[in-house]
Amino acid sequence: MLSLQKLASLSAPLSRRIEFRGRTRAPLPRYLGTPETFAAAAAAANDRRRSVAARANRQLSLSSGMATSFEHSNGVRKGAKAVRDQHMASEGGQDSRLTKIASSIRVIPDFPKPGIMFQDITTLLLNPEAFKDSIDLFVERYREKNISVVAGIEARGFIFGPPIALAIGAKFVPMRKPNKLPGEVISEEYSLEYGTDKMEMHVGAVQPGDRALIVDDLIATGGTLCAAIKLLERVGAEVVECACAIELPELKGRDRLGDKPLFVLISSDI
Amino acid sequence: MSAYKDKDPRIHGIKTKIRVVPNFPKPGIMFQDITTLLLDPQAFRDTIDLFVERYKGKNISVVAGIEARGFIFGPPIALAIGAKFVPLRKPKKLPGEVISEEYVLEYGRDCLQMHVGAVEPGDRALVVDDLIATGGTLCAAMNLLERVGAQVVECACVIELPDLKGRERLHGKPLYVLVESH
Repeated sequence: MLSLQKLASLSAPLSRRIEFRGRTRAPLPRYLGTPETFAAAAAAANDRRRSVAARANRQLSLSSGMATSFEHSNGVRKGAKAVRDQHMASEGGQDSRLTKIASSIRVIPDFPKPGIMFQDITTLLLNPEAFKDSIDLFVERYREKNISVVAGIEARGFIFGPPIALAIGAKFVPMRKPNKLPGEVISEEYSLEYGTDKMEMHVGAVQPGDRALIVDDLIATGGTLCAAIKLLERVGAEVVECACAIELPELKGRDRLGDKPLFVLISSDI
Repeated sequence: MSAYKDKDPRIHGIKTKIRVVPNFPKPGIMFQDITTLLLDPQAFRDTIDLFVERYKGKNISVVAGIEARGFIFGPPIALAIGAKFVPLRKPKKLPGEVISEEYVLEYGRDCLQMHVGAVEPGDRALVVDDLIATGGTLCAAMNLLERVGAQVVECACVIELPDLKGRERLHGKPLYVLVESH
């Protein structure tokens, strides 16, 4: 198991662009089936679309501090090599874990609406080793940070948050949509593309001085995470970091977190 | 079967951490709130350990968790026993192709969905939720799994409300719970 120091040195400036899937604005057929068949289908689909549109890059990132390594300047992108897992050289155990994780995530085009490339983590959960690796990567980072509470955002944050909380000995607090939590709650409203939504947390679950980690499967615009940060800070907790399996950096969610750091396993341009 | 009856010393700690909230979601219902259990790391760990100890040697290949509180207990169990985790969700949440199972509520109907391809014929499945009341949701979950050819080995819940007789709705499948609440 790598210590945190070693993780940091490995990741500075570790930057690897791996092409996993083609990218196109045209509607794509939905990918069906298990990750094994999906990988084959994706490869075939890529071959067909290579001439059409921009390539997707999926980057493996270990540290939020490395944000500048992954920024694209004015849309110019270095050519990405198509890499298959088995040919990828790994620097220590870290890369192979991230590769396995990244390749387990399925992209569903046009969900929930046309033009959106949905990052589906359910296929990661079908791979026990990869799922375990994703939890281990978070636990390794947070185990020594004196985190007293892990806040998970409904509903996919409920899948990643509790295993992390259990491993690091923290309490787990669910952050939920309105009217789900039975006890007295505090609410935070946040903006959606159209309209607003509300996030709630139980009164008394988090105490002043609690050191909090917020967990969700993915950060897009950062609106939900931002609401979670506010809820925790309103009750006097210190938000140490936000942690997600996937980041969509083009949506600049990281910027919406203010001074709060963000740690992600995978950064995806599609 | 309830571990409570077996008098494992951890059970008492778990039971006392569950908060009962009266008149939620509507008057007359005494809601069993497990969020307070999650605030006690030791009790939460004990809860998971009790399930893991039971299922570790049973060759379970898939843990199916029912949205949303089944997502809290299912994944830690799945991780510990090396099984895949499959979320069973309300309609329109899962992005890929799904199969659906409708079930009856007190007033009206609801629907549970699972991704096509997540579970395969021959998979040995454990269904997990925080609580069993009437058993309608668990029954729908079992139907989904059996329709794709999996074998449901057992249903596992933290809490049972035995007065609602949910146990009888499970097609004879065994149910394992940690605490009962009357």
